[in-house]
This record gives sequence, structure tokens and C-alpha cells, in this order.
Amino acid sequence: MVDDGVEFYQLGAWTVVALFVLFYGGTFLMSAFIGKKNENADGYMTAGNKIGFGVSAASMTATWIWASSMYASATSGYTYGISGPIHYGLWGALMILFIYPFGRRIRKVAPKAHTLAEVMRARHGKSSQLMLAGSNVVGSVISLTSNFIAGGALVALLSPFNFQQGIVAVAAGVLLYTLWSGFRASVLTDFAQVVAMLGAVVIIIPVVFFAAGGPGMFESGAANLSAEQSNFFSSEAFLNQGAPYIAAVLAYAIGNQTIAQRLFAVREDLIKKTFVTATIGYGATVIGIGMLGVMALYLGINPAEGDLNNLIPQMASTYLGPILLGVFFIMILGSLSSTADSDLSALSAIMMADVYGQNVARKGKASPKTMLLIGRISMVVATAAGLYFASGRMNILDLLVFVGALWGALVFPVLASFYWKKVTNKAFTVSVLAALAVFIPVRFGWISMDGATGYVFDAISVVGIGVVLGLMAFGFFGLRPALGVGLAGAVLSAPFVMGFLHDYEVLTGSLVAYAISTVLCYLMSFRNKEEFDFALIQQRIGDYDQRSMQPAEAAAAARS
Amino acid sequence: MTVFWLTVYVLIWPVIVAGTLAVICRGFFRDWAEARREGRRII
Repeated sequence: MVDDGVEFYQLGAWTVVALFVLFYGGTFLMSAFIGKKNENADGYMTAGNKIGFGVSAASMTATWIWASSMYASATSGYTYGISGPIHYGLWGALMILFIYPFGRRIRKVAPKAHTLAEVMRARHGKSSQLMLAGSNVVGSVISLTSNFIAGGALVALLSPFNFQQGIVAVAAGVLLYTLWSGFRASVLTDFAQVVAMLGAVVIIIPVVFFAAGGPGMFESGAANLSAEQSNFFSSEAFLNQGAPYIAAVLAYAIGNQTIAQRLFAVREDLIKKTFVTATIGYGATVIGIGMLGVMALYLGINPAEGDLNNLIPQMASTYLGPILLGVFFIMILGSLSSTADSDLSALSAIMMADVYGQNVARKGKASPKTMLLIGRISMVVATAAGLYFASGRMNILDLLVFVGALWGALVFPVLASFYWKKVTNKAFTVSVLAALAVFIPVRFGWISMDGATGYVFDAISVVGIGVVLGLMAFGFFGLRPALGVGLAGAVLSAPFVMGFLHDYEVLTGSLVAYAISTVLCYLMSFRNKEEFDFALIQQRIGDYDQRSMQPAEAAAAARS
Repeated sequence: MTVFWLTVYVLIWPVIVAGTLAVICRGFFRDWAEARREGRRII
């Protein structure tokens, strides 16, 4: 029961306990099936760099679909109308698609890497590594916290248990099956979770649609939509929801160690196939769930307590019977657990490789056993931190949107470092810090945009648009077409941007971060006469643990 | 958008999800079979 009189149908206490035991007991058994007494440290981080298509596609899809993405897509549908879910889900899906060409290049220069920051260390040095690793850690802790909050809220809404009991149960369940085998457990259980999630979506959307009145709702509820909400090409939806997300497409992919980990783990020839499949799986699932928000808008439903995050559970509780409500419960549990276990694996890999392997242990002397211990301790500490932040129920998603925009400052320096031999550590560090120094006051409106100042930032944003579009084209088509796309994008957008865009602080801040880091990094690098030899990266990054990962390999080695 | 196209717009996503899930499941069981043939774990 919630405050304003909207009553949720609740699952019984024993039903919820049974669902938790079924879900977390099942995932624990899966992880126990592949668990080994002596885990391999590299396997704990990247599972041996040769995962097949089915497992890796399931894992990338499950990791990128999280409870918050489902809630946010429905919120977008409810707020912006029929195009809302597209402006959330499509651009989120393209984050997976646009990173894969860069991923292939990264794998080529660093086939045995464990984290992106580790490669930055081999390419530049400690400051670049720690900047990227630090931003990865912040992103993963926020994501972990957000997933715990989603779990607590779900339990509080749909069961007799309270929020605190919910977050503890979810955190304990995720830690239980991830702790021993790390990334290997995360990836294997992702398959079961993706089957649960996607299977539930296939059933729930049509059932809710027809239970709520079917096509008739579009006639009877048309008056509930404004002209903008019923316009598929709504400029309001594009400017407020779509455009900031397009700007963040590459930023999220670079700033997120969970994607990098899968790029290093999948068999190299399967990167494209895996990431294209995950793009379609994520996009269709999240846009599909967003349709619940569109339906709620047509039906004239008001979210319970005025909280848009209650919209999906409210729709499920209203239109699904007890059995399908249980399926819905498992769907949300699967979405938040698959992302939370990936965040734990990402955080442990950063602590193992970037902190211990390269900054604490003496060069070449990192102990695999110590490394594993550090990885497991990191998971426990991260879970405790996530629980601590989650118990405050702070609006963590706003923080993630902020961090996502902040990652824009890293995109060009990181990507250029994999292709351009002239980029220096100094150029990387200075350009990122300078971009952040301008991004923060713009993002929070500390700079008055009146008069000429607004036009100056609009002009910088035009450069930012060129950079974003150019980088997106570069991954697929190479330098010359990318320069053409970037230039054309900047020129064509200028008449619409000048004198107008600075009113949108989130978008302006993000574009300014891209522009400043790119221009500075270029200007500080192009005169550099020393050219980096990319072959050095392979020499500097390898396996930490020489023990075999597979029993069959160990037996073969013993025979030979 | 007409009622017909709005209905298609809402119901097309579960169909795409089902297709993707089928592709992922087929890939998973192929990975599984390949691992068994080679006498190793799937991961």
C-alpha cells in the first residue's frame, strides 16, 4: 500500500522468499558448476579471452539491460509520448554498437589486457591509467548502488517486506554467486538471466497491452496526449532525451569497464557478431518495456506517490495475475542482478590489475593468489559501499547522468591513443582535466549564458557535435570519411545551435567537454616528433597467472 | 499514427526480442556442444 491510495497487488511473503531462493539458488548452482578450488587470476578477470558467441552475446545483453534502464524507458514514454522509449532505448543500444569497431582495434593492440585503464598505462603511464580507472570505479559503484535501490524498491512495492530487507537480500544474493569465480560466474549466469528477462518481456508486453484494452486505448485515450507527445518526431523528446544520449553514446561505452571486460573476453573474431546481437537485444527489450509508459499515458494513469519509477511495477500489479506478476518480479531481479554482478566483476578487475598488479606489486612479481584475494575483498567492500549508499535512497540516477556526461572528456584522448602514435601522456592528462574544468561550471549553470558568452559556448558546442559525429563515423569508416562527417555535422547543425543550445545545460556541458578535450589533445600532440610503437603494448601487458584455466588444457600440457 | 500502426509499434518489440533470444540460445547451446566435444568447460 502506498501513500496516495494507489493499492498494489502484493505477492505473499513465502512466494517472494521462494522466488528469491529459486533465482539466487539457481544462479549459485550455475556458478558452482564452473567453480574451481584454485581459480585462475586472469580467468577471474576475463575468462581466458576466448568466450563463444552465445555466452558473450547473452552476457553483453544482460549486463547492459538493468532495472534503471527499464524504469527510465517507461518514464521517457510517459513523459515524452510515443517517441520517448525510442529516444531512450535506441541511443542506449547504439552505445554497444558504436564501441565494437574500437573494441576490435583495442583487442588487436592489447589482446591480453584485463581493463582499459591497464592499456592506458602501457600506452601513456600512471596518470592516464588512474584517471580512467577512477572514472570506471565511480561509474560502477553508482550503477551497483542504483541496482540495489531498484531491488529494494521492487520488494517494498510488491511484497510485505520493506526496502532495507530488499536491498540486503539482493546484495547478498549477487555476492553469493559472484564472489568465488568472479567474471566467469557473472558471464555464465548472464545466460540464465537473459533468458528470464527477454522471455518475460515477450510475454508481459502483449498481456498488459490486451488486458489494458488493446488497440481501443489509442482511441479512448488520445486526449491524454499533448501534440508533442503524440508526434513520433517530437523535437521536445529529441532535445531533452535523445540528443544528450547521442552525445553520451561513446562516453558511456568508454567509461564503463563492464563493456571493456567483455571486449577482452569474447573470442576476437566474434566481437562484431556479439555486439550487433546485443545491440538488437538491448534495444528491443528496453524500448518494448518503455511501451508500458506509453500505455500508461494513453490510459491516464498517474504514477503512485508521483514517482515515475513506480510506473512499471504499478502497470504490472494492475494488469498481471499472480503468476505473471511472479514472472515480472524475476524479470526485474534478473535485470538488476546481471548488471550488479558485472559491476562487482569490473570493480574487482580494476583493483586486481590496475591497483595491485601495476601499482602495488613489484614489476612482474604480482602473486596470482594475492590478486584473487584482492579481487574477492574488493567485491565484499563494493557490496558494502553499495548497500551504504542505497540505504540513503539518494537520487543516484541523476548522478549517473552527470558522470556519463563527464566521461565525454575522456573519449577522444582514450580513442586517439589507440590509433595515433603522437598522443602523449601530458596531452591526455591536460586535455581531460581542462575539459572537466569547463564542463562542471557549464553543467551546473555557474556561468551566465547571457549575451556573447552564450554564443561562445554555442560555437564550442558546434565543434563538439562535429567531434561526436566524426568519432562515431571513424570507428566504422576510417579517418577521411570521419573528417567529412564531422565537418558536415558541425556546419549543418550550426544554424540550429547558435543562439539556442546554451539553454540546454546538460547537452551543452557534454558537447563542450568533447570539444575542449579533443582540440587540446590534438594541439598538444600534433607537433610531437616521437612516435609510439604499438607493439610495446603487447610486450607490457600479459597474463598474471600462468596456471591453466581449463582441466583439458592442463592434462594436455602434462602429457606433452 | 493510426490505431493500426500504433498497435504494430507496441507489439513489434516483443517479436524482435523473441527472435534475438532464439539467436542467443542457439549460440549458447552450440558453445556448450563445442566445449563438450573438446572436453572443457563452457567458460
